Amino acid sequence: MKLLRVNMDDLGVRWYPVPPVYLQLGGRALIARLLLEEIPPACDPLGRHNILIFAPGLLAGGGVTTAGRLSVGGKSPLTGGVKESNAGGTAGDTLAKLGIKAITVEGQAQSGEWYLLHIKADSAELLPAGDLKGTGTYATSDRLQERYGADCTVITIGQAGEFCMHGADISVTGERDQRSNHAARGGLGAVMGSKGLKAIVIDKPLGKSIPLADAELFRTASRTFAQKLINDPKLGTKGSQHLYGTASIVGAVNEIGSLPTRNFSSGSFEGSASLRGEHLRELVLEREGKIGTRCMPGCVIACRNNYYDEDGKSIVGTLQFETIALMGSNLGLSSLDDVAQLNYICNDFGLDTIETGAALAIALEAGLAQFGDTERILALLNEVGQGTIIGRVIGNGAVTTGRVLGIRRVPAVLGQAMPGYDPRSLKGNGVTYATSPQGADHTAGNAFGARKEVNPLGVQGQRELSLKLQIIAAMLDSTGLCLFARPPVIADPQLMVDMINGIHGWGWTKEELDRFNRDVLRTELEFNRRAGITAADYRIPEYMREEPLAPHNSTFDIPDDELDAVFDTL
Amino acid sequence: MPVDIELFGQLLPGAPRRQTLTLEGETTVRDIALGLGLELEEIGLISIDGVQSEEQDLVPPDCRLCFFPPMSGG
Repeated sequence: MKLLRVNMDDLGVRWYPVPPVYLQLGGRALIARLLLEEIPPACDPLGRHNILIFAPGLLAGGGVTTAGRLSVGGKSPLTGGVKESNAGGTAGDTLAKLGIKAITVEGQAQSGEWYLLHIKADSAELLPAGDLKGTGTYATSDRLQERYGADCTVITIGQAGEFCMHGADISVTGERDQRSNHAARGGLGAVMGSKGLKAIVIDKPLGKSIPLADAELFRTASRTFAQKLINDPKLGTKGSQHLYGTASIVGAVNEIGSLPTRNFSSGSFEGSASLRGEHLRELVLEREGKIGTRCMPGCVIACRNNYYDEDGKSIVGTLQFETIALMGSNLGLSSLDDVAQLNYICNDFGLDTIETGAALAIALEAGLAQFGDTERILALLNEVGQGTIIGRVIGNGAVTTGRVLGIRRVPAVLGQAMPGYDPRSLKGNGVTYATSPQGADHTAGNAFGARKEVNPLGVQGQRELSLKLQIIAAMLDSTGLCLFARPPVIADPQLMVDMINGIHGWGWTKEELDRFNRDVLRTELEFNRRAGITAADYRIPEYMREEPLAPHNSTFDIPDDELDAVFDTL
Repeated sequence: MPVDIELFGQLLPGAPRRQTLTLEGETTVRDIALGLGLELEEIGLISIDGVQSEEQDLVPPDCRLCFFPPMSGG
């Protein structure tokens, strides 16, 4: 394995052997360690000292189902701390097959200059890309695949990243013409834009797999893992995840009173029935769209959809729960067609739908439009891509929008907008938002799936639950696994150990895997500490502790000392 | 006493998603589930008026009772 170091200061592209300190790390774990070792923690996230990292997980390239997610990382302009955000598509798998442990991008190109990094089987080069400036992610991906071949992988930013907006994300192409995979959270698209890097093109590798240290151990474990996913009642072909996608939970999240509604002013939306996964499935099938498609080659869960409009034309590659929550109920919209349009525009501009949905709702609360006014909301969103003043405000996320427009109710922690679960009615997620080094991020430890273990409305047990989930999330994000694939490896961690040992031959034990997972969090917390982030920065917004949330009239009432003690047993 | 029932996801395909049942006497969630034809292992979440509930809980009058299949967090 090797590291590909790209220096935008001198436009140098250099290959290095992987230093021993990074050898047994991948994905999120590698990002955390690289940031701690290689950048000044207090640096400007959009300055030349920050680095942008692309790293496949430890299981990538071997054919493990759902294990091809690409981790993208750097110091976040939103949180001011460590950030890892991952995406499906073909990049993770492809980089691993090329023997690339990580790409690091440091320095900054001359102002106004744009470049493209082209990675081939045995070389890489930076090329001028000024012709792509101002182009959205869909057109950029299409043009680069026309130029470099339909089977190459394209990683790109849209206009939002070029403008260095803090809500900007990074898109990754998938199999054939599949789009809409985004490393969405934390504003990493702005970091890529700050470097002057518009896109990365990765040629399809010639090899079909990576070298295996113990092929028999690996194949046995990876086949067992896949079979357990197929047999899982949530995830298999008869499970709700496959049949209805991530939108399968819209009804339940609304019912338990945690669905963000009109800028998190209620946990229940009267129009939620038409946003549910059940309705989405009916519409997609009626319009001859697609249900049960994949974001990564070989995924057995297949929870994506291709959402078509009434005329049978594709609007967006997949419509997901988080987008439906933040750009549907949170904006007072009850039409999936409207949400799909907003989703497409966000994807094209390269914007995180969670951050942008939260920012738009704040703009609506400030009176820039009425909740539910689709036309005006679309117009506001289009201003982001045009780079107007109000567009730049919204594109910079929830906190900036609240500050500029004078709105106090800003659903964000550590500068990053909350995802689709109001923490007043799903308090385990509130603990994760208020303690994760990643800021308010459901993928860092989502308690929704642990409803039976801990009462979502209660105080008891939330701290322990969140810690457990955060440790698991660190493992998934470091191995490249999709977070939905967690049940088999939670039930049987030896399965994960065998897959890792089968590929790498490290002879890890379950205890060593647990230590590895915990070290990810320790490293991230240490980076944030050195960056100057204190306990006060992680707090849930004051209004959520004081204003009861309908329908349960719940507040976020986990005491601060409980939150501060979450990592005592890490 | 009337109880509004709603079934979500792939539970009981072909059955109406919403219906109102009239109950007489003490009835548990389990009684209703079995009466509808649900298999208990098919149920991932039960809520009564939005509060997570268990199959042995008594069903209060004039409530909304929802059955969900097993689900993962989005």
